[in-house]
Amino acid sequence: MRLPPREHELIDRSKTVTFTFEGEPVRAFAGDTIGSALFAAGRRVFGRSFKYHRRRGLLCCSGQCPNCMMTVDGVPNVRVCVRPPREGTVVKAQNVVGSLDRDLMAVTDRIGGPFTPVGFYYKTFIRPRWAWPYYEKFLRNAAGLGKLDPHVTERRRVDHEHAHAEVLVVGGGQSGLEAALAHARAGRQVVLIDEGPEPGGHQLANRERIMTMRSLAAETAQAGVEILPFARAIGLYEGNLVPVDRGSTLVKFRAETVVAATGTLEQPLVFAGNDLPGVMLPAGARRLANYWSLRPGERAVVLTVDDRGVETARELEAAGVEIAEVVDYRERVPRSVVAKGRKQVRSLTVDGKRFDCDLVVMSGSPQPNYGLLAHARARVEFDPGRGIFVPVELPPGVEVAGEASGDVGSPAVPPPSHGEGEGKSIVCFCEDVTTKDFKDAVAEGFDSIQLAKRYTTATMGPCQGRLCHLNAVRVAARETRTDEGTIGTTTARPPTSPVSMGLLAGRPHEAAKRTSMHHRHKDMGATVFWTGSWRRPHSYSADPQAEVRAVHESLGVIDVSTLGKLLVKGPDAGAFLDRLYPNRFSDLKVGRIRYGVLTNDAGRIFDDGTVARLADDEFYVTTTSTGADGVFQWFEWWNAVWHMDVELANVTGAVAAVNVTGPNARKLMERVFDGDVGNEAFAYLDAKRGHVAGVPALILRIGFVGELGYELHFPSPHGEHVWDALFEHGAEWNATPFGLEPQRILRLEKTHILVGQDTDAESNPLEAAMPWIVKLDKDDFIGKWAIEHVQERGLRSLLVGFEVPSGRMPVEGAQVVVGGKSAGRVTSVRYSEQVGKVIGMAIVPIDLSGEGTTFEIRIGGELDQAVVRTQPFHDPEGAKLRS
Amino acid sequence: MSFLLTCPHCGPREVEEFRCAGEVTTRPTERPGLRELNEYVFFKNNVAGVHREWWYHRHGCGTWFLAERDTTTNRVVRTELPA
Amino acid sequence: MRDIFFKKKMWRRHELKPRYDVVIIGGGAHGLATAYYLAKNHGITNVCVLEKSYIGAGGSGRNTTIIRSNYRTPEGAEFYRDSVKLYEHLAQDLDFNLMFSQHGHLTLAHSDRGMVVSAERAEVNQLLGIDSRVVGRDEVMEICPQIHLDGAFPVYGALYHPPGGVIRHDAVVWGYARGADRGGAEIHQGIEVTGIDVSNGRATGVQTSRGPVAAGTVIACTAGWSTQLAAMAGVKLPIWTTILQACVTEPVKPFLDVIIVSGQLHIYISQTDRGEFLMGSGVEPYPTFSFTSTFGFIEELSKHMLDLFPQLASTRILRQWTGLCDMTPDFSPVMGLTEVDGFVVDCGWGTYGFKATPIVGTTLAELVATGTTPRLIEPFKLERFYTDTLVSEAAAASVTH
Repeated sequence: MRLPPREHELIDRSKTVTFTFEGEPVRAFAGDTIGSALFAAGRRVFGRSFKYHRRRGLLCCSGQCPNCMMTVDGVPNVRVCVRPPREGTVVKAQNVVGSLDRDLMAVTDRIGGPFTPVGFYYKTFIRPRWAWPYYEKFLRNAAGLGKLDPHVTERRRVDHEHAHAEVLVVGGGQSGLEAALAHARAGRQVVLIDEGPEPGGHQLANRERIMTMRSLAAETAQAGVEILPFARAIGLYEGNLVPVDRGSTLVKFRAETVVAATGTLEQPLVFAGNDLPGVMLPAGARRLANYWSLRPGERAVVLTVDDRGVETARELEAAGVEIAEVVDYRERVPRSVVAKGRKQVRSLTVDGKRFDCDLVVMSGSPQPNYGLLAHARARVEFDPGRGIFVPVELPPGVEVAGEASGDVGSPAVPPPSHGEGEGKSIVCFCEDVTTKDFKDAVAEGFDSIQLAKRYTTATMGPCQGRLCHLNAVRVAARETRTDEGTIGTTTARPPTSPVSMGLLAGRPHEAAKRTSMHHRHKDMGATVFWTGSWRRPHSYSADPQAEVRAVHESLGVIDVSTLGKLLVKGPDAGAFLDRLYPNRFSDLKVGRIRYGVLTNDAGRIFDDGTVARLADDEFYVTTTSTGADGVFQWFEWWNAVWHMDVELANVTGAVAAVNVTGPNARKLMERVFDGDVGNEAFAYLDAKRGHVAGVPALILRIGFVGELGYELHFPSPHGEHVWDALFEHGAEWNATPFGLEPQRILRLEKTHILVGQDTDAESNPLEAAMPWIVKLDKDDFIGKWAIEHVQERGLRSLLVGFEVPSGRMPVEGAQVVVGGKSAGRVTSVRYSEQVGKVIGMAIVPIDLSGEGTTFEIRIGGELDQAVVRTQPFHDPEGAKLRS
Repeated sequence: MSFLLTCPHCGPREVEEFRCAGEVTTRPTERPGLRELNEYVFFKNNVAGVHREWWYHRHGCGTWFLAERDTTTNRVVRTELPA
Repeated sequence: MRDIFFKKKMWRRHELKPRYDVVIIGGGAHGLATAYYLAKNHGITNVCVLEKSYIGAGGSGRNTTIIRSNYRTPEGAEFYRDSVKLYEHLAQDLDFNLMFSQHGHLTLAHSDRGMVVSAERAEVNQLLGIDSRVVGRDEVMEICPQIHLDGAFPVYGALYHPPGGVIRHDAVVWGYARGADRGGAEIHQGIEVTGIDVSNGRATGVQTSRGPVAAGTVIACTAGWSTQLAAMAGVKLPIWTTILQACVTEPVKPFLDVIIVSGQLHIYISQTDRGEFLMGSGVEPYPTFSFTSTFGFIEELSKHMLDLFPQLASTRILRQWTGLCDMTPDFSPVMGLTEVDGFVVDCGWGTYGFKATPIVGTTLAELVATGTTPRLIEPFKLERFYTDTLVSEAAAASVTH
């Protein structure tokens, strides 16, 4: 099958690889693609079409069309005409029942003409209603192309790189090389990317031009242009971003100037049988002959509207193909063209004259490949003189060179479509859309290209209109008796050609955030789970209640490093916080702590935490774990607006925090802290500096979990040291690590809220039952006006504690039901051993919020009763906290 | 990745480095009525064209600044620190 | 069935008349559905739909076709419950196969907090008779054996909504357009509204690229440009506009039946009847009217998607696109009467407009026909932002300035 060795061929006949196709070994030379090797082995049918399962052969040999898609090493939809085989590569046909040559589904082609016209599915299978799922199942299985391997979990390694170029030239054909050369000579830093193994564009498949191209490429490289082969532009995005596919690397170029030298897309002609194997585009036939030294056919007819077809006829003749006829539309436009054949084309009849042939080369008007330019919002217009769409009005920083601009050489004749009534004339190869489909669509009112496209699905397949957009517009224009300019164009969208998600994804995901004591938690048997972006201990045993007991009875230790921690410093620090919080901080004494929630100007709560005054001009603010960044940004924002004399620092990552709590907490603190921890010297809500286990620390005496407690804040690198010291010295009181789950039970016993759980996007401090932190006598604070309006209108709902007398446990999120309808919800619920009851918090209508009021909640699908408790369940007076 | 934004301190950077806080609004200086308050809190000009908006250089220097950007093209006309 | 072989215009072209009882601005699914129900349910047929481009050119033709009703608020869930009910019989109603496939919908939870939010939604939904429940990891695997539970963000469980499904979005547009046309409404494509005439606090008509048109009632059913449109009538909206992006892959044989959504990873995916994966993520976090697709979208989406479905690494993205979304402070729509008599808005649909189409059409038609706001859309009135009675679909507060 191979021609004798030819000058400039791309294959190296001294090296071979063997791959398998449908289990049979196929030999290929180095430089072959899977497609060329299969063609050399005599294969003519490469695929089956999407809808009618029609036989399809090599058409473009440049990776554009859908005809040769196969499953390669388990990956579906690989265009084998451009994929080189490796030793042992496994290639399989796809979208067939049976084999490529005998596909049982091909029956749809015979019944599919008259019986499945365009819009068929919209008008059938409507009744009975229950039957649709069955039809649908059949349709789903019939659709799709290749099959995914469901067991793949390994991903190949992909790297992402950033790069900059003063000028990025996309396309290494003659005009791309010339543009790159000109920019380089003007002193600019130029990078040229080309999809192929070497620059030269379509002229590489032209034996008369190849040496000229190679010397131009050499000259361009010498001028300092960096030439990247096997590099495909994915798109042209805002800010002149051009991501480039380099196989296992994705390079994201930002360029000052992007030059699109993307050439043209060869277009098929529309006639009956134009999709038979053996009907090819010029580049397809030329690549077979000149790249891989394969004779594309024995006897050919060339249909052409321009010089490309004529040149191709010459090239084919040189490869030993007999040229039966060249039908040049510029001389005479034929009235009818019909191709016939079964497994491949056998004859072409032009205006009644029949030519026996096994190859038809069709060269329609070459369409400028303006995809990149359209991504960058260049306008695209129909040029009636040349019969093509051309880009106009380029955005700044974008240039176009060569044929992509519409400069396509000899004026082409807009070719008519042919062959209705003589079999299917394919407009869209991917979707099997025929001229008749367009006729029908227009007749039904789909009379603009956008509607016709959506109704017929033309241009929506794997080639994304590269081979069919122009013909679709022409056919629609003819059917609507308007012109192409009126019909308009569809929008070319990125990516320029299909791009794999693996390449886009790059390396797998970054790991979660962990505290400096994370490994100690793991060592102590913690079950670790996700909270926001952190990994934190859920509990250290299967029984969180045991950890709760340890805190109530003796001593517990919890890592709270994830809390946000901010420093607010400067003469205006107190006034600044007064304007941000509903609570007042300017009168807070040095060394004291006060709780605060943060509200926005809608009066909604978005975070909470403690504020400790460290000095006259310095405050230490804690926030929720998830709110740290948001609160810091919020503070910075208002500081930028108000220009007060304060400085802010986010020390969340730098500072670790541990809460030591329980009746024996003071005893442990006496051992590890170098200051006085007596109840008078270090009272509840005091903040003191000192050393813990030799590490400088800030100690906050607070009690989120309801027992005597000290929150130790110290530099993160000492996390494990402090943690170890606490357990070493705390062993006497059986110091117990506790996780988030026991913490939630403990804080619920105190009805201390969790912002984001017990509050939602609509919660304000009054309806969240925290009127004591709102100081409406302040001149102003963020949220003041809205909270005042809430007070004036009166509360509609209230966050209350509740218990469930039946002992049944609702889920968090369970609905408070009044008259069969949702009227509120359970925000938190747990069983408390300490209280001996199921306790929780709920948002209830205001008229159900009084102490002892019974309300209904939904538990397990049934209504049950809950009773309002407005006092904390544990230590309501706070005596333990103060002890 | 999409458009570039020029931080007044750091220069042009990928927009993903920043957080947008929306169009610039003016907080009332006196206590507003409910309607005026809610208009300030909830209602937007939502300009299709050039408008002023807040940005924060989140993965960078941590500066809040103002940008004038054409929302129909995402072209940034200018950026500046708040006066 | 006759229509399969005997081609008939699905909608006709008309000369624009000087006056209509109802002028609907926007020939998307909402506008066309409203025209359809005005005629069908209320016999109001002197109606025109004005579309500046082609029907379904906006959000109706750009969305990812997911239909569901498992919302967080009782108001939202009830509204969408009735929408899904109408969708279930819509193909028979319109005599047009909309290919509504209820394969189920899984909203993944990647934390225990996520599980609580799921539980809350399930509770709200169940009380309203919506099939919606929390499932654990094992059941997630049963429903979707292809999923990879232990990626960078492990799956804890999910909210499972069996009636959730996908539909052929264009078919919904065309089915309603045909129905509206047959009911007597006129559909005008390529006509842009350039002004709204208001006198003495009442909308009296619109100015268009083809001249003035008088109207008894003007309904604005445009996504993306509703702020600008409402401003023509002097009505201010609580909306900021941004883009939502989506993309589609090359078709493969059936791999995934259910719809998978992950709020934390900001992704969702379904496989169409054609075999393509249809995928999307969250809205861009800045206001924009620029339709330009971003590379960051397909990059981030792929990163997250492969976390759940590593099998898709070799699957290729075929095209990406954008649509405009009008976001409201509470993530619920704005529907109904305004301060301007005779000017009705249907906007603020964020990323959830398409799934509301039938119920929007029926309720707006009822509003226009009776002059009173149907109970179902009472919570969504514009006035709620002035009285601060929001319907918050967001679980927790976001910072505003």
